[in-house]
Amino acid sequence: MASLDAARSSEPLSLRLRRGLGNGRVTAVLILLPPALILFTLFVILPLSESGYYAFFNWNGYGSPTDYVGVENFERIVGHSIFQTAVGNTLKIVLISLFIQMPLALVLALLIYRKTPTNAVFRLIFFVPYILAEVAAGLIWSFVFDGNYGVSASIAAAIGSEPYFLLADRDWAFVAVMTVIVWKYFGFHMMIYIAALQGVPEDLIEAARIEGASRTQIVRYVQVPQIKPALIVSAFFAIIGALQVFDIIIPLTNGGPSNQTHTIVTYLYTFGLTRLNIGFGSAVGVILFIAAVTVAVFYQRFFMKRGAVA
Amino acid sequence: MADVRLEGITKRFGSLTVIPDLHLTVPDGSFTVLVGPSGCGKSTLLRIISGLENPSSGRIAIGGKDVTKTEPSQRGISMVFQSYALYPHMTVAQNIDFGLRLAKTPTVEREARVAEAARILALDDYLDRKPAQLSGGQRQRVAIGRSIVRKPEVFLFDEPLSNLDAALRTQMRVELAQLHQSIDATMIYVTHDQVEAMTLADRIVVMNKGRIEQVGAPMDLYDRPETVFVAGFIGSPKMNFVKGAAIGHEEAETVGFRPEHVTVSDGGEGFEAHTKVVETLGADTIAYVEADRLGELTVRLPGHIRLKAGETLRLAPQDEYLHFFDQNGQRMEVSR
Amino acid sequence: MSRAQLIRNIARVAFLCLVASFVLAPMLATVLGGFKTNAEIRTGALALPETWNLEFYASIAEDPMFWRYLLNSLLISIGCVLLTLFVGAAAAYVFAQIRFFGSRMLFSYLLLGLMFPFATAILPLFIKVRDLGLLDTYWAVILPQTAFGLSLAILLFRTFFEQLPKDLFEAAYLDGCGYVRFFFRFTLPLSTPILATVGVFVFVQSWNNFLLPLVVLNSREAFTWPLGMMQFRGEYVTQWNRTLAFVTLSILPAIVFFLAAQKYIVAGLTGGAVKG
Ligand SMILES: Nc1ncnc2c1ncn2[C@@H]1O[C@H](COP(=O)(O)OP(=O)(O)O)[C@@H](O)[C@H]1O
Ligand SMILES: [Mg+2]
Repeated sequence: MASLDAARSSEPLSLRLRRGLGNGRVTAVLILLPPALILFTLFVILPLSESGYYAFFNWNGYGSPTDYVGVENFERIVGHSIFQTAVGNTLKIVLISLFIQMPLALVLALLIYRKTPTNAVFRLIFFVPYILAEVAAGLIWSFVFDGNYGVSASIAAAIGSEPYFLLADRDWAFVAVMTVIVWKYFGFHMMIYIAALQGVPEDLIEAARIEGASRTQIVRYVQVPQIKPALIVSAFFAIIGALQVFDIIIPLTNGGPSNQTHTIVTYLYTFGLTRLNIGFGSAVGVILFIAAVTVAVFYQRFFMKRGAVA
Repeated sequence: MADVRLEGITKRFGSLTVIPDLHLTVPDGSFTVLVGPSGCGKSTLLRIISGLENPSSGRIAIGGKDVTKTEPSQRGISMVFQSYALYPHMTVAQNIDFGLRLAKTPTVEREARVAEAARILALDDYLDRKPAQLSGGQRQRVAIGRSIVRKPEVFLFDEPLSNLDAALRTQMRVELAQLHQSIDATMIYVTHDQVEAMTLADRIVVMNKGRIEQVGAPMDLYDRPETVFVAGFIGSPKMNFVKGAAIGHEEAETVGFRPEHVTVSDGGEGFEAHTKVVETLGADTIAYVEADRLGELTVRLPGHIRLKAGETLRLAPQDEYLHFFDQNGQRMEVSR
Repeated sequence: MSRAQLIRNIARVAFLCLVASFVLAPMLATVLGGFKTNAEIRTGALALPETWNLEFYASIAEDPMFWRYLLNSLLISIGCVLLTLFVGAAAAYVFAQIRFFGSRMLFSYLLLGLMFPFATAILPLFIKVRDLGLLDTYWAVILPQTAFGLSLAILLFRTFFEQLPKDLFEAAYLDGCGYVRFFFRFTLPLSTPILATVGVFVFVQSWNNFLLPLVVLNSREAFTWPLGMMQFRGEYVTQWNRTLAFVTLSILPAIVFFLAAQKYIVAGLTGGAVKG
């Protein structure tokens, strides 16, 4: 249709409009586009901009913000030790995702990417945690880790030791959280790799085999390079995902013990929303926004060449 | 019933001029074929007639009425696409019917017209099928059916046969010719295949780089090509071209003669040639030869002359069938 | 199969089974826990129950609030799916079919939503929903959720629509079919694969969403199932069997549906990577 327009743009506007109405071009634009624009502006762009505005106020959400405090909110957040822990925890999730979850997912994908009935069963099993709602996953694992009444209690009873309260341990609680995160998301990354591996032409692998490449060499020199776009994409999801972790934490630890297991979003929720510190919470939102956009832009710039599709 | 007149049509895509100032009249009721190499602007011209593209300047009149600013659906035209563009989610009947529905044609008449089209095109048994369940030839017929029910004054075809295999293409060519006879509307047909053009057309328009090289009846183009381009484009195998000076016609820049207008001579006239490749077709034998001073030539000889690669022949073009062209590639008359 | 291959294959399956048990054990304990007394859970959380008590499951199934939560979730999810499909497809169609002044800019604008997480704007969103008087209504979840899902939906739709054959539109256009009609009569019916992909994906997102309902739904009447589940957990802190029965009953149908539709979920997820 580009051509239709190219010609039309040289005509006077009135003529274009008249004809546009005749065959419904303008009508189509005026009917079909505004719902999306309105919805998106009202519930995405506007709140986002307001975050940037409220962040400079001390405001409890009632009336309109008047108590302008400059960058004080940001200073308080950055200096807050719990926020620092939350950022550290987010980085830990990124590291665990990149160095434990992704390799695990890749190994599993290589083991089961071929289309056989057994593989299909395993694929299904590994994908179940991903499909599960985060809250449900958190709840199930809080049952597992419960040293009083849960699975941990019964294991401790079985081996005759004192029950252990992992989620109450300042040093180990976040390890438990990360275990749940790996459990929950490795299947998703695995699915991305499987889709990519199935797209690698079989003759490439056969050619390598004929040239005498071993299994590991094929993986190393043929398959992994071929699915590099998928790896890049999945790492992106892992990083962006780490910035958003919330649902899993609430049932597991709710940020405790002694605020050791917060992430940026649970921090925002706990110190911004539940206490109605709208200004303060908005400032956390702004920081989160900057982090996410930085990651996205950086990623686009350095990794995602066009067509980096899994 | 309508003629089509194009006056001063130009078409630019950005800075690329695809059609520079084109004038053409397609007579009422004719079967006019636009032929030319790929990318010469045939489809663009057809789409300008249909209204899918607007010309950058110029006017289009159909049946004497200026339609330059008219919506495509109001121009009294219909078009058959190379890909057929059948609506995949509709049955054959719905495909054929769709335009009539949009035109708010009364139901009784719609049904009658669809039934008639189905009968003409032998589609009665397939009306409830989806396009995916049809063969290539049947899809082609549905596409044609879709255009005839609208009773257009002008039919436009854009390479409609190029997706068919050779046998089917021949058959559809015959059917199209019959269709033209039975509904005698104006038909404008685009193809890059000069054989198709020669067999279907009563008028051929040869295009090259957005310009019209020559307009005429098929045999006129064959007998009296006005330019080197037409001479080379019409006829198969291609006409041979040699420098005028090389064969004793200094007055002409280029001299052309068709492969079928060469005879084997035993006497002193003509020139020596070595056969390089020989294609034996039965009735004819096509020989690709290398001649002194003239270079590579193609000749078509009667089938009874047995030839092998590597033989030496004496060949002579028939004098009365020589074509002469000047430096600009235009035909010129030379007294012999 | 040679000996070496056989051994390798056994090792492979053994490893896969190990991972599978890591995946399944917690879920199995959950399902079984719903049949046990709390004392039994304490001693044998992973074992089969001595007696299969149905009462905990039954009491959940008889609780009208439980069904209320599920119904709320279902209606909200369906609302999100329908709104996303319609609004998103309509906008994507305009971008795919009609070039007009500013169309590229508007398209980029609508894709901004791909750049940042939902949570960044959650507080102003809460204020806005409250000021619009929507708190505790379905719209409080449906509208923001749809708005945030639009970017991805529009991106996926436009890519698909652009791949529909161009001359289909031209043929219909010659037949007298206008732009709006073409959208309803051709684009939508011919795009069922992408509609299904986006639809399933949006449904899953919405069904599992927690943060947004947590913020905008306060009355139990309006709770979605994740909120209901957390509420229930809070009420029966020491009675894991009831909570486990609740969890099992609420996630089971979803898991069955999602596994059946996993193809679409994966397609939607990986499609999100086509940025730019
Ligand atoms: N929409 C368009 N935008 C830019 N260039 C075009 C467009 N359509 C056709 N062209 C160019 O115009 C020329 C003629 O195209 P076309 O009419 O399709 O040729 P033909 O049908 O004779 O093969 C080609 O060089 C083609 O690349
Ligand atoms: Mg063409």
